[in-house]
Amino acid sequence: MDKPSHLSVVIDLSLTQWTLCAQSTNPPGITLQDFLSQLLAFLNAHIACKDENTLAVFGAFPGQSVMLYSSTGEVTTTTAESTDANTYRPFRTLDSTIMSSIAERLDSYDGMTEEAPIGLVGCLTKALCYINRTITTALSSSQGGEGAAASVDPRILVLSVSPDQSSTYIPIMNSIFSAQKLKVTIDVGKIFGAENVFLQQAAHLTGGAYVQVERADALLQYMMMSFLPAPAIRQLISVPTQDRVDFRAACFCHKRIVEIGFVCSVCLSIFCQPVPVCSTCRTKFPMKTLQRLRDARPLAAPPGNAPPRPPVQKNGTTTPARPG
Amino acid sequence: MAGPSIRIKQAGESSKSTNTSGDDSSHRLVTFLQSQSQNTLTRLYQKPSSCLSIFRLLRPLERQLVMNLLWLEMPVPAATMAAWVTREGKRPYHDALSNLARLHILPQSPVKHALNPTFKSSMRQAITGGGSSGSFGVLTENDDKHPPPDIESLDAYALERWETILYYMVSSGTGQFPTKPSQGVLYLLQRSGLMASVHGNTLQITSAGFQFLLHPPHEQLWELLLQYLQMAEERQMDLVEVLSFLLMLSATELGKDYSTENLSATQKAMLEDLRDYGLIKQRTATSRRFSPTRLATTLTSSSPPLPTSTGTGNGSQAQGFIVLETNYRLYAYTDNPLQIAVLNLFVTLKSRFPNLVVGQITRDSVKKALANGITAEQVISYLITHAHPQMRKNKPLLPVTVQDQIRLWELEKNRVKSQEGYLYTAFASQADYEYVLNYAKQLDVVLWENSSRRCFFGSVEGHANIRGFIERRSAAGNA
Repeated sequence: MDKPSHLSVVIDLSLTQWTLCAQSTNPPGITLQDFLSQLLAFLNAHIACKDENTLAVFGAFPGQSVMLYSSTGEVTTTTAESTDANTYRPFRTLDSTIMSSIAERLDSYDGMTEEAPIGLVGCLTKALCYINRTITTALSSSQGGEGAAASVDPRILVLSVSPDQSSTYIPIMNSIFSAQKLKVTIDVGKIFGAENVFLQQAAHLTGGAYVQVERADALLQYMMMSFLPAPAIRQLISVPTQDRVDFRAACFCHKRIVEIGFVCSVCLSIFCQPVPVCSTCRTKFPMKTLQRLRDARPLAAPPGNAPPRPPVQKNGTTTPARPG
Repeated sequence: MAGPSIRIKQAGESSKSTNTSGDDSSHRLVTFLQSQSQNTLTRLYQKPSSCLSIFRLLRPLERQLVMNLLWLEMPVPAATMAAWVTREGKRPYHDALSNLARLHILPQSPVKHALNPTFKSSMRQAITGGGSSGSFGVLTENDDKHPPPDIESLDAYALERWETILYYMVSSGTGQFPTKPSQGVLYLLQRSGLMASVHGNTLQITSAGFQFLLHPPHEQLWELLLQYLQMAEERQMDLVEVLSFLLMLSATELGKDYSTENLSATQKAMLEDLRDYGLIKQRTATSRRFSPTRLATTLTSSSPPLPTSTGTGNGSQAQGFIVLETNYRLYAYTDNPLQIAVLNLFVTLKSRFPNLVVGQITRDSVKKALANGITAEQVISYLITHAHPQMRKNKPLLPVTVQDQIRLWELEKNRVKSQEGYLYTAFASQADYEYVLNYAKQLDVVLWENSSRRCFFGSVEGHANIRGFIERRSAAGNA
């Protein structure tokens, strides 16, 4: 039970959203500066728990995704060797590396007129690749060692402030399925803004915790209690999971989040309106069916009188996503 | 009425509990700390580095509870805290609470829980950094004249020191005279009961010492250090200073030079001892700087404390070197005298090649090991930890026949099980006998009974009850 665990953290670094968050009064927001200092304390705590615990931090910047830190030392900065006897040295390297690489990136965004959407998907996939690599190297190197038991017990933590981007539905779903396959738990901390449908599904499908932070000033306590326990110990300590999950999907044609959609009978692609030819698998649907579906449409979804959110669907199955 | 009571002395020596650092047992240092006074511990918790190192030695659930409470200003009601754990977690949770209470990290309280304020502030400081304690060791300025030693030389040094100690132990009494470790180490070995002096001044390994040799290096190290801590008390050294120095070492970084200037007199005196154990390296005895070796920096982690052993030189035997076949034949790919000597404890070695030793596990060789006080489990776990990578493909790892046979050989030795107790005889009537026997059975203390001879044997725990029962009954009968 007491084995090292790996944590990959994805930080949402959308400047616009952080500015909004800092200005928000109800609920009281938190500045990026405060957030980062609390985050560093959390990351230190993860390393403090066990010497062999590993950590990777990814920054989702507007339009790009960057690895900010990894404990295997792939990110190096030119911080001077400091001789501070008051701090545990790994903490010091961790903190200074993350801070300087964030500052470096953020400086280059000053004065941009329109902010590109953040590279959340890029971060997720990079984190998954990183975990996959650590697992495979751990397996190959530990053939003589502890065997498969030496695997790293990995998890991903997404700290998000931006709203859903419906255009990223398919890649996010694909990331979730890879995470399930790799047995990676995805935890989500929503620090600011409305509920994030896709991330909610990510946490639900991988057995992670989804926490909507209501008091941002107590963020550290939220993180310590919900995200610090390694998956192995969550059998003993309960972490918050969701009681209701929004399972809505985004359609493949307009990337709109739909409540009722039309599904291709061959490849299970989702569309918000009946289409003659499936855009994914090129299946042609008979004209008659199309006609019937079009006729049935107003009945299924009366315009202007949209049904409320779908009821709680426990164990609901989501439509597998295909590259659109 | 309670006839002549017999006491059977424990026949076989009770096998020492060989609790390795498994999931359910606390770390040995934690157990040691729990026996210390609150005052000592509170002084120890003043150093952030000590707190961090102790925190790492706790069990996962305890660590999580500490972390949950660390950032809270107000005490948490016990009922709220109990709601954090799942149903399966109830037992471990109560274990964790009592463990933390004995460490005086989380004082026991029925209503509200809050961390020890000293521990809390030091631990917060350790995580957030800052403060002025300087407890993580002061690095020396880099000067070009004395560059810090490179990691390989540190590893070689630590290994050489450590293997000298073990090799000395294993070859004592075999007529060989390997390099002697320093006087301090010899004294420590003797004090810890791993070696004892026989006729005059030659030291000979004891059965505890044989068991010690089969432990993983990490445990061996802690065993010696705990003994050192106990000796420190007798030598009038301040236990807190000794402990905090050890814990500081565990938080230092390999391959760096640390300054001795900030150390107290006690800690400076410790440098010499730790140098002998191979935990730190100093250029000269009076040097003002020291570098911790891997033995020291991995004290609170589970990564291997020793680098690849000396020997074949291709470094492949770091993971393991033993191949065991179903026909009890054993091939060990090593030329390390220490490893060969340890194998010799329970294997009949047949032939030796430059990088290979071939032997056979026989009844006699295992019996010899058992006679030395080594248990079958220890032999098996040694074989498992040092199994060759090729063996790891097997499932189960060791041939079942061999494992079972080693256990059976041990059972042969322990055919008689002893239990202390009392024999109750000379009952006046069969009814009396049955009445008392019934009572004893209800208490579940009957070990053996013979109704035709009207006697039964009860365990020690039940004696007071049965005796009282009989006395009450005879008093009632007389009245």
